[in-house]
Amino acid sequence: MNRNDYMYLDHAATTPMREVAFEAYKKTEKDAYANSSGGHALSRKAKNILEESREYIASCFGAAPNEITFTSGGTEADNWIIKTPFIDKDTSAELTTTQIEHEAVLASAENVHSKGFNVNFVSCDDEGVTNIDEFEKSINSNTVIASVMYANNETGVVQPIQEMSKIVKDVNPNTLFHSDVVQAVATKKLNFHNLGIESAAISGHKIGGPKGIGVMFLKTGYKIPSFLHGGKQELERRAGTVNVSGVAGLAAALKEQQNNLEKDVELIENEKTIFENNLKENIELRVVGENVERLCHISNIQFKDINSETLMVALDLNGMGVSRGSACASGAQKPSHVLEAMKVDEEVINNHLRFSFGWNTQKGDGEKCAEIVEKTIKELS
Amino acid sequence: MRILVAMSGGVDSSVVAGLLKSQGHEVIGVTMKLWEGPNGEMPETGCCTSADSEDARKVAAKLDIPYYVLDYTASFSENVIDNFVDMYAQGLTPNPCVECNRSVKFDHFIDQAKKLNCEKVATGHYAKIVNNNSTYELHKADYLDKDQSYVLHMLDSQKLENIEFPLGTISKPEVRQIAASLGLKTAFKKDSQDICFVGKKDYRNFVSKRIDVSSKGLIVDKDENEMGTHGGIHAYTIGQRKGVPGGQGEAKYVTKIDVENNKIYIGSKDELTTKKFILDEVTFVNEVEYENLSIQTRYNSEDVPCAIEKIDESTYQIVLKTPTMGVAPGQFGVIYNGTKLVGGGRITSKVLEDVYE
Repeated sequence: MNRNDYMYLDHAATTPMREVAFEAYKKTEKDAYANSSGGHALSRKAKNILEESREYIASCFGAAPNEITFTSGGTEADNWIIKTPFIDKDTSAELTTTQIEHEAVLASAENVHSKGFNVNFVSCDDEGVTNIDEFEKSINSNTVIASVMYANNETGVVQPIQEMSKIVKDVNPNTLFHSDVVQAVATKKLNFHNLGIESAAISGHKIGGPKGIGVMFLKTGYKIPSFLHGGKQELERRAGTVNVSGVAGLAAALKEQQNNLEKDVELIENEKTIFENNLKENIELRVVGENVERLCHISNIQFKDINSETLMVALDLNGMGVSRGSACASGAQKPSHVLEAMKVDEEVINNHLRFSFGWNTQKGDGEKCAEIVEKTIKELS
Repeated sequence: MRILVAMSGGVDSSVVAGLLKSQGHEVIGVTMKLWEGPNGEMPETGCCTSADSEDARKVAAKLDIPYYVLDYTASFSENVIDNFVDMYAQGLTPNPCVECNRSVKFDHFIDQAKKLNCEKVATGHYAKIVNNNSTYELHKADYLDKDQSYVLHMLDSQKLENIEFPLGTISKPEVRQIAASLGLKTAFKKDSQDICFVGKKDYRNFVSKRIDVSSKGLIVDKDENEMGTHGGIHAYTIGQRKGVPGGQGEAKYVTKIDVENNKIYIGSKDELTTKKFILDEVTFVNEVEYENLSIQTRYNSEDVPCAIEKIDESTYQIVLKTPTMGVAPGQFGVIYNGTKLVGGGRITSKVLEDVYE
């Protein structure tokens, strides 16, 4: 669908693929389709693309190439890092995470819990920032992993990652500090080592890369068991023929993103601000996390007396795609666990919508989107 | 016009969406999510399993129409589930499908349609709406074996004005044929008869998990002779034979449930027949009528000729022309004049002593 026919404000769910990513993907499938682990000329060509991409991707996050393993996406990386270290542990081992994590982390943590391990789900304040004191208390000599997302995917609220990493390392230097940075990398330049992030999950399609490709970053010195068993690809860490064209697409998308990040962020921030301010003029609402640091591309809005289920449908029919949080298989959406953790009043918890901008947002979109929302709300009342 | 179609994922509502779309209407499909288990799981059987909403989604994608799943679980739980459990606790026989239509589905759905600028809503029910000089009448479907007007009796003329039942003149085989010709994967899907939130399991377990109904009591005959014991009245409905102690080769049936004294009365088939009973919560599609009436006391049961007497605005006494078996308090009595549905209400266990012969 042409972007002029439909206003897509769901970039936090996924983004359209950048032309450069598409080209890189296509070129690799055409010219270097061989198995990158093979022993012939075409395989070497694929291997070369794979390793050059790895080097570039690593450099974008201040990481070393051998700290980067390619996965099928962010969900796999989160599952891998959170679940596998517990395989050979006795039940004194503990996991600390937060109540506002993405489902990939939450469900992995619950899986660890179901195996008999103690898991601490740290609460947050009403702006959606993790409670630091509670977090600190949850770390002890048994903590194997502490996992905190860099920024929340529903609210965009940024967590005090550097501070939390320091707390973890002070209490227990052996604890792996993991961060799901899937949402953050869309509009943030991150240096993992400087931030104290020791492992991370990245997803290609959130930054204009292809779907089905992601990164598991793991700091040199740490080893975790394999999650997928089979061939000895990816330095024997992850079995399965490597998705080289996906990797090439991701590298190309990342390159374009990094080269334009500053001006993109400025534009998105600007359009989002116009959007929020214009809406506020005519509609009673509250912007979630307005008083704390949040990602520039996410605007989670609580409408005073408009049920967001109906509003979302009406917006779709008026040509605008938004969401109420994470996409759900059954289609119907439950009240968000993030908003519940923030103790949002029951009366308004179903009045939230997430508007998320992205790399293809253009000047004027903020105003245009506010107009569509206002018009739609008027029609509903 | 823009029409909101309730899509369960079954063949009937799939065909409704397809037919209306082919007639040039702007169709929006909606699955009403009514119930989910304690951990958010969708029902395994009935009309709203996750496989069903997935089917509805596929049909909508095939027809290229907008499609949404809307959450009515809170309203359903309050109006249907709680009522279902309460009724069994009171020794009544609930009809959750009618209750759902009456207090959840249509009201929410018509309201939603108005908000979304839809002129009408449509469902895959087999019934007919007849516009008689801007008075809307509800009639039985042309193919009586599939007629579902009974479960729609609470719809009045004002509501019917907003509704379309496109299948009222079509036979089930024809519906399947249309589905197949539209390439819809639901064409040969089996019909569901289960209660969505109970599924294939025993409703007694569902009820006993929710309320304490375990108190044992006596089973007696009409003369209070002890015939056995029971493990909770929720496990019995009027007319039930299973689990009832027999007597001298003659089959016995539950004839009365006395909640106050925790007693189940049983008797012979003859004792099950009823000639008079009272309906409360009575509503009419249009005006009340008194001539040429008949009544169905269960879904798709035979029409029994009857007369009605008004007690108050929403309470009527029904006098059957021939005594009938299995009139169960809690079920609905739906009154017809020929194929035209006049109104209906809930069968009560109340007895009007003064009008009894």
